Amino acid sequence: MEYVNAPGRIYDIQGYAVHDGPGIRTTVYTKGCPLRCLWCHSPESQDYALQLGWLELKCLGAELCRDACLRACPEGAIRRTSPSKRMGTDELVEKIEIDRGKCSGCLRCAGECVTGALYTAGWDTTVDEVYARLMKDVDFFQNGGGVTISGGEAMAQFDFTLNLAKKLKDSGIHICLDTTGFAPAARFEEICPYVDLFLYDLKHMDSRMHQRLTGVPNEPILRNARLLAEKGAALQIRFPVIPKLNDGKENILATADFCASLGAAVRLVQLLPYHQAGRMKYERLGRPYRLKNVEPPSESFMEQALKVFQKRGLPAQIH
Amino acid sequence: MENFDYPISERIQGLKEKRKRINRDLRLNFERNRIITEYYKTHKNEYPILKRAGYLYTWLTTREVNIEDDDIFLGDAGPQCRTVHFDIEQTPISWIEGCFGDTDERFRAAWQVPGSVWVSDEDRAWILEAAKYWEDNSIAATAMGLMPEDFVAQRGGMMKSLNGSYPGHFCPGYERAVTVGFGECRRIAQEKLEAIRQNTTAENVRSELFYRAYIKVCDGMILMSKRYAQGCRDKAEATADPTRKAELLRMADSCDWIMEHPARTLWEGIQTMFFYQYLLIADGTHWADSPGLIDSFLGPLAEKDIAEGRLTREEAQELFDAFLLHIGDQIIMFPKPGNQQLIDAHKTGKTFFDLQGGMQNIAAGSLITVGGMKADGSGGDYNLATEMVLLSYLRLRVAEPSLALRINQFTPDRIWAIAIQCSIRSGGMPQFNNDDVIIKAMLDRGVPIEDARRYAVFGCVEPAISGKEWSMAANCGSFGAGSSLMNVLQYVIHGNKDPMSGREGELPCKKLYEYESFEELQAEFERQCRHYIDEMARMYHFAALVFETAWPVLSASMMTEGCLEKGKDVTWGGATYNGMGSMISAIATVGDSLYTIKKLCFEDKTVTTRELYDALCANWEGHELLRQRILNSLTHYGNDDEGPDSIVRWFTNLWVDYFNSRPGVNCGTNNCGALDLYWVMGGMFQWATPDGRKTGEALSISSDPRQDCVKNGPLAYVKSVSKMPWQKLRCGGAINVRFDANSVRGDDAVGKVRELISTYFRLGGIQFHFTVADTAVMREAQKHPEDYQDLIVRIAGFSAYFTHMSFADQENYIQRFELGV
Repeated sequence: MEYVNAPGRIYDIQGYAVHDGPGIRTTVYTKGCPLRCLWCHSPESQDYALQLGWLELKCLGAELCRDACLRACPEGAIRRTSPSKRMGTDELVEKIEIDRGKCSGCLRCAGECVTGALYTAGWDTTVDEVYARLMKDVDFFQNGGGVTISGGEAMAQFDFTLNLAKKLKDSGIHICLDTTGFAPAARFEEICPYVDLFLYDLKHMDSRMHQRLTGVPNEPILRNARLLAEKGAALQIRFPVIPKLNDGKENILATADFCASLGAAVRLVQLLPYHQAGRMKYERLGRPYRLKNVEPPSESFMEQALKVFQKRGLPAQIH
Repeated sequence: MENFDYPISERIQGLKEKRKRINRDLRLNFERNRIITEYYKTHKNEYPILKRAGYLYTWLTTREVNIEDDDIFLGDAGPQCRTVHFDIEQTPISWIEGCFGDTDERFRAAWQVPGSVWVSDEDRAWILEAAKYWEDNSIAATAMGLMPEDFVAQRGGMMKSLNGSYPGHFCPGYERAVTVGFGECRRIAQEKLEAIRQNTTAENVRSELFYRAYIKVCDGMILMSKRYAQGCRDKAEATADPTRKAELLRMADSCDWIMEHPARTLWEGIQTMFFYQYLLIADGTHWADSPGLIDSFLGPLAEKDIAEGRLTREEAQELFDAFLLHIGDQIIMFPKPGNQQLIDAHKTGKTFFDLQGGMQNIAAGSLITVGGMKADGSGGDYNLATEMVLLSYLRLRVAEPSLALRINQFTPDRIWAIAIQCSIRSGGMPQFNNDDVIIKAMLDRGVPIEDARRYAVFGCVEPAISGKEWSMAANCGSFGAGSSLMNVLQYVIHGNKDPMSGREGELPCKKLYEYESFEELQAEFERQCRHYIDEMARMYHFAALVFETAWPVLSASMMTEGCLEKGKDVTWGGATYNGMGSMISAIATVGDSLYTIKKLCFEDKTVTTRELYDALCANWEGHELLRQRILNSLTHYGNDDEGPDSIVRWFTNLWVDYFNSRPGVNCGTNNCGALDLYWVMGGMFQWATPDGRKTGEALSISSDPRQDCVKNGPLAYVKSVSKMPWQKLRCGGAINVRFDANSVRGDDAVGKVRELISTYFRLGGIQFHFTVADTAVMREAQKHPEDYQDLIVRIAGFSAYFTHMSFADQENYIQRFELGV
């Protein structure tokens, strides 16, 4: 199959990604997303630009490396802080802090950091490179597993995603595409033959609310879902249940109705209860977490919501 | 997903509660030690195997018959339920004197307070006196009398304090005890004895003694069973409860029958196993004797009972539940705590049991194996007992005895599902064994295919032919140990010196900065390995001779195939198959260290060997940046990178091939494996290593990667470990994976874990162990241990209650790579 060794920008490749589709999967996470979901648990995926990450725990103090990061910074955005404990010891060391306002994102400091406390979130790569890495895990894919291309929004780096999918398909690898659905319809039409299963998010059925929660309207998302269903694609719908934001009765009913309207294309609906696992990542990137007062939904609530979907004959589960 | 957590009967719940109660009120087994001391003192000149038989017969016929009101299975190896066993003939005199020769005040504070293991004033006086006799008559005394001078000069002091120990680690024929019985075996022995008497030769003269001993123990076993029958009748008479009375009378009838005859029912089969186990424990607390493929002989009994209406399914399950709890009632004292340790523990509210419960000594180190393949290869060997044993573990949440499940193409989906759910709840129970690799490994040892298909696992991970092999794995008592990859690594770096102790090794060599090339260093490493393997393999022969000379293991010989047939004790080479196991460990510490030297000093040349040597000598003081570079920029073993992985394969092959090729004890095979139980403690005695490890820090675990350097995720971890030459590592070895709860969330979790294990097996892995424990949960358990008594984690070849582990071991466990999603 013809493919192009297109460049791509990713922020992780993860093996045993058991929540990203059937079987044992390795997931490629592309960088950059047009949405800004309030609950996003991977903030490092949102911007296309490479970002500076900061793991305070790993810093052994600026003294040890003779201010390597401070010296590397052309903007003077890094300075020593007052002494704090070095991990696993009682030793007090002066670690650093980053003035994110001054930081230009040149990432030179990360290049100098020997402990990995300052790091770059994301890297540039190519289809061939990623393919070679993924194929190391091929032994694990034999019984229903495979590769999931996720993001960010993988469809935003379409050349990369399409060509990676083509190349993997050629090797007989099962491919899931994890998408927000927010991309031009033509792209979905083009990639459809190379994707075995779309992991397709539905976040709110009311477009105005959708805009408020994610930054974009939902019309293209719903349209693309219908398009894929018509084209014979297999869909696994994922509905993140976020208390107070999209867990109203009306929205649950509307979501279930919409899923039912897609017919046999829907292989599974997964209701994903909100969790706070992503919170720490915001700190590392120096960004505020905006859902501070939202607690995960109760089990009984999730069970009720599940019933709404099951009543419509949809294969559904809480995950 | 089917919920297999069927309710536990009230009676079983009661037994479980009783265990907890007794754990605060334990007793040491002085009865057995009094009987053996008295017998050995008064029969000094009796031939060793006759002396052994005489002692065992005395024990069987005079020991207290204990039957408790709630017993589902009868008796114990000691006079009370959950007696703690130790053998005076292998207990260090220094420990006895340290504990019981201490001041009255300290003795009482250690041994006569609630929560300890009670030792009376009388027992105290007795043991101090008895120790004097054993000082010159112990196993260690025999060893000192025959070990080569160089060995004694080097390790004599250590040996004296260990005072030797029984070899343990074997898999005697429980199946024969249950399905053939001591009566039939006695008849065969009698026939053989008479045949020899007709024609005594130089070859068979010793066999006559063996058969005489054998018959005596058969008689003793049958008598003990009848004594229990009488005990049941006495109890029945005294009880007012008609149900219990009927049950006791049924038990009495069975006890009159079993031992002499094959078991007819499931209850009889299990009770026979217990009586035989009591004999094994009385013979010597052999570490880790394992009952083998129990489902294959208990399954038909259970199925018959149900088919013929003697038991309902629930009643059969209750018997398996009771079996599991009771086999865990056999406790071996290990380690042996000193007075100060006990006093300190009592101060913090810890019990003696807490100090014991972090190791696999509960259930006497037993390992039960279920599942497998029929001898003719026509299908899998899974039956109702396979399922019920697994269900007992799943529902009772106990960490002992250890459990192994054999996996092959015939393993039913339902067994997979129960087993994985069980291990999700109770870490590492069961461990999963790859029949494909292990059967091939057995063939490589020269075992015919029919027997190879009937292997069982004993000890931690060691496969042997169930009921037919004298395996003496690990290190043959405590005599054979002493060489390791770690020591060789240190010698090669520090010019034949262990920097921690300052002691010299046996082969002078260069220091790290003197090697011209990595190949030269590798050649030296190889030369050293071969030298220490030669020495170790040689010492194993002398270690085996210790037992051959004066310490026969008659209890094992009774039921191990080959002994009855040949008229030889297992220690004389009587078993059909013989093996000697030895484990390598700290694979990643050694592999990453060699790779660091190769990559930094000889390939990239960014660090000189002198710099690295100086950094090591300084324990990285003043070289932290270099250390950080090694930890953060270099690829370590466990990331599916051929750099370090190929080095690991190189020295593993080197060690395995050479050790396995040396002539084994009892004309059997040497069998190398990869396992460690003491990486935290072992690390305390090891100087800094080039992989970035500081002096005293824990070593890497068995064949697992350095846990803080797993950077490519779980699949790469599993794949790296799968590259080890497992078929040659035929003494077994564990990959031990820790998942967070999120990774096994969802309806499809069981299928995914199964696929991970299956893939590891397809890639050639031998055994797979996993635990599900979140860091957050373990932190909570440290704060509120009372709420986490059921939290079980997989340590190495065994599982432990997290709250019973030492703080250092807990911390080390928490630092394990958490397979999270």
